Amino acid sequence: MTDVTITALPAPPLHVFEIWSEAGAVAKRFATATGFDLPIMGRSGGSDTLRLIRYEPTVWLVEGDASALTDVLGKDGALTAIGGGIVRVRLSGKGWRALLMEGGVFDAESASFASGCSAATIIDHVAVRLHVVSEDTCDAYVPLSYSTALMEFWHTAAETLTA
Amino acid sequence: MINFTFDGKAYQAQAGDTLAAALLRNGIGLVGRSFKYHRPRGIMTAGVEEPNALVTVGEGGRTEPNTRATDVFVYEGLVARSQNRWPSLSLDFGAILGLAAPIFSAGFYYKTFFGSAKRWMFYEYFIRKAAGLGDAPSEADPDHYSQRAAFCDVLVVGAGPAGLQAALEAAEAGKRVILVEQDSILGPSLIRDPQKLDAAWIEAIAARIRAAGGRILTRTTASGYWEHDLVTLTQRISEPGQVPADSVAQRLWHVRAGQVILATGSIERPMAFAHNDRPGVMLSQAVRTYVQRFGVTPGKRVVIATNNDDAYKTAHALQDAGAEIVAIIDARPAPAGADNGFPVHNDAVPLSTKGARHCLKSVSAQVGGVTKSWDADLLAVSGGFTPVVHLHMQAGGTLDWNEAAQAFVPAKSRQNVTTIGGAANPDPVFTVTPASNPKKSFIDFQNDVTLADVDLAWAEGYRSVEHLKRYTTLGMATDQGKLSNMAALGRLAEKQGVAIPEAGLTTFRPPYTPVTMGLFAGSGAKDGGAHIRRLALYDVHAAKNPIWQPLGYWFRPRAYPANGETMQQSSRREARTVRTSVGMTDVSTLAKFEISGPDAAAFLETVCATTVNKLAVGRGRYTFMLREDGFVFDDGTVWRLDENRYLLTSSTGGADRMATLLSYVRQYLCPQLRVSAVNVQEHYAGIAVAGPQAKAALTALIGEEPPRHMSTVPATIAGVPVIVLAASYSGERAFEIYVEASHATPVWAACETEVSAHGGCLFGMDAMDFLRIEKGHLVVGTEVDGRLTPQDLGLDKMLNKAGGFIGASGLSRTAFSEPGRRQLVGLEAIEGTIAEGAMLITREGETPQGHVTAAGIRVMEGGSIALGQLEGGFERHGEELIATSPTRGQKARIRVVQPHFYDSAGERYRD
Repeated sequence: MTDVTITALPAPPLHVFEIWSEAGAVAKRFATATGFDLPIMGRSGGSDTLRLIRYEPTVWLVEGDASALTDVLGKDGALTAIGGGIVRVRLSGKGWRALLMEGGVFDAESASFASGCSAATIIDHVAVRLHVVSEDTCDAYVPLSYSTALMEFWHTAAETLTA
Repeated sequence: MINFTFDGKAYQAQAGDTLAAALLRNGIGLVGRSFKYHRPRGIMTAGVEEPNALVTVGEGGRTEPNTRATDVFVYEGLVARSQNRWPSLSLDFGAILGLAAPIFSAGFYYKTFFGSAKRWMFYEYFIRKAAGLGDAPSEADPDHYSQRAAFCDVLVVGAGPAGLQAALEAAEAGKRVILVEQDSILGPSLIRDPQKLDAAWIEAIAARIRAAGGRILTRTTASGYWEHDLVTLTQRISEPGQVPADSVAQRLWHVRAGQVILATGSIERPMAFAHNDRPGVMLSQAVRTYVQRFGVTPGKRVVIATNNDDAYKTAHALQDAGAEIVAIIDARPAPAGADNGFPVHNDAVPLSTKGARHCLKSVSAQVGGVTKSWDADLLAVSGGFTPVVHLHMQAGGTLDWNEAAQAFVPAKSRQNVTTIGGAANPDPVFTVTPASNPKKSFIDFQNDVTLADVDLAWAEGYRSVEHLKRYTTLGMATDQGKLSNMAALGRLAEKQGVAIPEAGLTTFRPPYTPVTMGLFAGSGAKDGGAHIRRLALYDVHAAKNPIWQPLGYWFRPRAYPANGETMQQSSRREARTVRTSVGMTDVSTLAKFEISGPDAAAFLETVCATTVNKLAVGRGRYTFMLREDGFVFDDGTVWRLDENRYLLTSSTGGADRMATLLSYVRQYLCPQLRVSAVNVQEHYAGIAVAGPQAKAALTALIGEEPPRHMSTVPATIAGVPVIVLAASYSGERAFEIYVEASHATPVWAACETEVSAHGGCLFGMDAMDFLRIEKGHLVVGTEVDGRLTPQDLGLDKMLNKAGGFIGASGLSRTAFSEPGRRQLVGLEAIEGTIAEGAMLITREGETPQGHVTAAGIRVMEGGSIALGQLEGGFERHGEELIATSPTRGQKARIRVVQPHFYDSAGERYRD
């Protein structure tokens, strides 16, 4: 059995943070308001209180308290709640990389996919977003409707995989 | 020792034996019967190219027919059965077909089974009885199949000496390496021919590859080479028919490689001569494999027929094992090398064999124009070597002709693939022209194709090798021509009077060897290939034990039967409750998008074919969307929640397609717009409350007057913020309540309590369908099937006259205004019940003029009604037609009417 534990995390507020104009000015306002820079593509920034994960050129996933971000965006973007439809699943243990290769199409075994990295990919036909929390932990953001099935899939796979 | 059975009789094998090796070890020569003539067949090879020794292994759902005995390793309890014989392998009545071989020549089916459809129905019974070898299992496969991705810098296919060395060099150069070998051991050719490199060398190399981080997979076949250097690997975790240790029987790897190195070696060719298919005739290298690797000597008195040097290694191996080499028939005119002590006959080709069902008895050959014969129980044949170029060709590679080897070898490829070792440099051979009776000289053993069949196809005008293949069935079935292709090409070239390369070559397609169907389905094999999507309120529904209905990947309640009701009774009760008091249902699966920004209206007016920008805050409207060619492809509602914020809903089934369209418009068509379009389909759970008492129920739930029809307000239910939309799909005053999915349960419970207090009930998809058909509302996928325009559906008055929406230009096509287009109509039964999908005809035997898209009932009064598409339908109201469904055995006399059977003025929506 692969060394990995699969756990559904409590649901924090999740939002889509999208910029459509004046990206530089928004970035400055963001850094001033939060104390950290908007993360670059494929990376995350912030802390457990407020974390932004960038999956698209103009879109970030916001996890945590987003109350200050509406003002940061002003007329240059929008903040949209999406947390009701997403389940955060934590994959802990050294085997998470091998587990994500099961039914996957993304190179989770690459050493360059390290702590702070993110990816949007497909696992066994389900669209998921990944965020590497640490060398031994990766969070997957799974659509609510698929979460039960995908967690079952992972549990079954973990039992039969040899990393 | 390992215990196994063959045709019910118990035998023992040694660890590491293939079934073929174990059968030979136990002295079993007859293993199967050929497909067409039921000729007795034995074991010819020691690899995946085996055409003869096809058996069924396993029991129940694990039964695997047509398994090559050379490609299954014996495990404790293995059950194997021979195929295509009755009543037994030894006494097979089907062998009588062999006597009729002259009439079962190439193209027999095409020449015999023709005529009317009725005659074909007669033929079909017998053809189906005769078709195939083994029987597919009737029980479900109990095992699991896994699919896994892998990435590497270098993928090496084949763990012979060249493959092992290439993998080692790459791994020790710091590259991510995967090495795959279809056999259960590394370096099987080195075990067969132990020279300087032996098992210890293999072990050491493998250890170094692993130490450098390389991954080695045995029992793994590179089954397909696709674009962008994607290679699929089929890994057998358990043997065919074996109970897997951890429930996974096989794994399909999707390997994306930076570079692919093919070290796939060569396959030895047989020779064409009379009765070359008899048990006891084997390929030379296969004989050597059984002797050197498995310790089994397949014969005691051996004749070897060859056109190359390699077969002499077999002679030495057999001699060392105690067998007698009674003759070496060498096609080459002069001895090759020094005297080796064997009775070699040069300028010699095999002519025929004699034997019984189970064994070989003698071999005859033409030696320098003289016929000679030897008593023998084994004939080892080597007709040269065919490089395994399948993957190279699948990668888009071309082939060169190697004259010395009389073989095609890999040339260029548009992908990053290199072939090394024996597959790139096959041994030279001497060309042999078959000299014996072509009618008994088999070239495709699996399909009983002889040289005479190729000759006949040629005589009947089949010139292309592709046509020849299909006419004779040569190169088909599990071996895919691995042994037969070159022999057939040689014969075809001979007929054409050209060199083999000019005769052409058939195409090699994946898979290289047969792949179990379950492996393609992967983990989803038990669920139709995909995971089931669960509603946010799944547990709430499940507690009520509804009848579930699949809707795409979703499962939704179809009806909530109570007190022993049938589904039909329940659905009708639920629909009537909506018409008379109030009902509620889960509409969470609808597509939902939040569109924000100062240009949100402009964005929506690009996507939607109706106006949007005139909507006041708090108002909504029905809308629909077109493809670029002007056909309707989805519909829904759009709501202005705030000055710069809209909610767009559309169909469940089209949700993913709509998300793709919005992304396309946002990123490509209108990147300049200041807008954000976010998919909130799963963020919001949706609850619809409908019926004359809906307003009262909503008033109680939100503590204020609910919004008027096509208006929206934010509200709170059970302490949870919700959005209330006043929209109706049922034809009654109705509301949709959207709530963040993670907080939906208390809202549903509050709604259910209030609905119940007003005499209402839950309703499922069937009741919803009855209600919407009666009201004349569309469903995407039935009425909206991608072939109708807004005009055809009666939606043209809603089109945005300013244009500018996707599909606007397509609408101006003249074909859209031509008479006779299919148009949406209502249908009511005069006599009988209208069946869904029924064809609309004026008289029996006439061409259908339309079809029934959805059939239902008048909810309160009863009576069969339907919606349908009918040619020129708008002009045919009042006309009587027949709705006939031969597949359902239903027919009804119907009248064409308006597609609104209920409250066409829409008065019930309004307060």
